Amino acid sequence: MAIHETNPNFMNGVPELLILRLLQEREMYGYEIVQAIHSGSQAVIAVGEGVVYPVLHGLEQDGALKSRRKTVNGRSRIYYSLTPAGGQRLAALSSTWSNLAGAIHKMLAGAQA
Amino acid sequence: MTQPFEELRELLLRAGVAPRHVRRYLGELADHLADLRAEEERAGRSREEAEAAALARLGRVNDLAQAVIKQRQFQSWCARAPWAMFSLAPLFLLAAAYLVACVYLWCGWNLFLPAADTPFGTPLPGSIYSLTNIYFQAGKYYYICAPVLVGWGIGIVAARQRLQLVWPTVALLLIAWMGASAQIEASRTAVPAGLGHISMKFFAPASLAISASLLHAGVILLFTALPYFIWRLHSAHALRG
Repeated sequence: MAIHETNPNFMNGVPELLILRLLQEREMYGYEIVQAIHSGSQAVIAVGEGVVYPVLHGLEQDGALKSRRKTVNGRSRIYYSLTPAGGQRLAALSSTWSNLAGAIHKMLAGAQA
Repeated sequence: MTQPFEELRELLLRAGVAPRHVRRYLGELADHLADLRAEEERAGRSREEAEAAALARLGRVNDLAQAVIKQRQFQSWCARAPWAMFSLAPLFLLAAAYLVACVYLWCGWNLFLPAADTPFGTPLPGSIYSLTNIYFQAGKYYYICAPVLVGWGIGIVAARQRLQLVWPTVALLLIAWMGASAQIEASRTAVPAGLGHISMKFFAPASLAISASLLHAGVILLFTALPYFIWRLHSAHALRG
C-alpha cells in the first residue's frame, strides 16, 4: 500500500470531534463521513481514510453512536447516527476544543504583537 | 479479499484483536475501497491506477492496524486474560459437560434401571438394539468424547485468533489430565430417599491407576491436539510459501 501522509501529532481527538459534529446533523456511512471532513476542512485535515472506522467503532462501543445496516442503490452500508450520550460528549469536546483554540489563538496573536 | 487486507487481518489477529471486530473492520474497509476506486475511475483513471490511488487514500497497512490495536476495547478476552481463557474456562467447560453426562446418566438410571443399586456393571435388559442399550451407549460415547470436543473448541479459538502455542498447549494438557483422571461413582443407597447419588472426582487417580491415567491422558491429548497442530503446520507452510 502506498504512503499517505497524515498529521498525527495534531490529530488526537480531532477525528472524534468532527465525526460527532457531522453525525449530529444526519446519519452517514464511513465514506460519506471522510468526504465531508475532507470538503468541510478544505483538505487541511488529512487522515488515512480507513482510520475513521476504529474511531466509529470505539464511539459506538462507548454508546456515543449507534449503527444500522441499510441498503441504498443496491449496496449494503453501515450507517452511523448520534445517540443522546454522543450529543453530550460532543458538547463537552466542543467546549474543550473551543477553549484550547481560543488560548492558542491568543498566544499566537500575542507573539505577533 | 485483496492482499493488503489479508496482511492487515493477520496483523490484527496476531495482535489480539477479537475476530468479530476484525471481520467488521475489514468489511467496511472493503466497501470504502470500492467507493474510492469508483471515485478515482470517475476522475478518468484506469482500473489499475484507480486501485493504487484508492489504496493510498485508504492508508498504510500499519497505520490501519495500529488504529485498532491501540484501542484495548477491541482486544479479545484471549488476549486480555489468556490465563482465564486457557486454564479456567476449559476446566469449567469440561466440568459442565460432565455435569450434563451425570444428569443424563441419572435420568437413564431411574428410567430404565429403577431397581439397580448402580448403573455401572448392571446387565441391561433387552437386545443391543433396545432403547435402554442405545440410551446408555450414547451417554458413554458422550462422556468419552466430552474432553475431545472441548479440546477441539479450544483449538478452533486458538486458530481463529492466531495465538502463540503456549496457552493452547496449557489448555489441552489440563483438559487431557482432567478427562483422564475423571472418576464417576453412582449408588442408590448413598442417599436415604433411594433416588440415587452420582459423584465425580478429578485430578486424583488411585496410585495404581496413575500409569493408566497417563496413557489415557496421552490418548485424549493426541485426539484433541492433532487437528490444531496440523492446522499450525499447514498455516506455517502457507506463510513460507
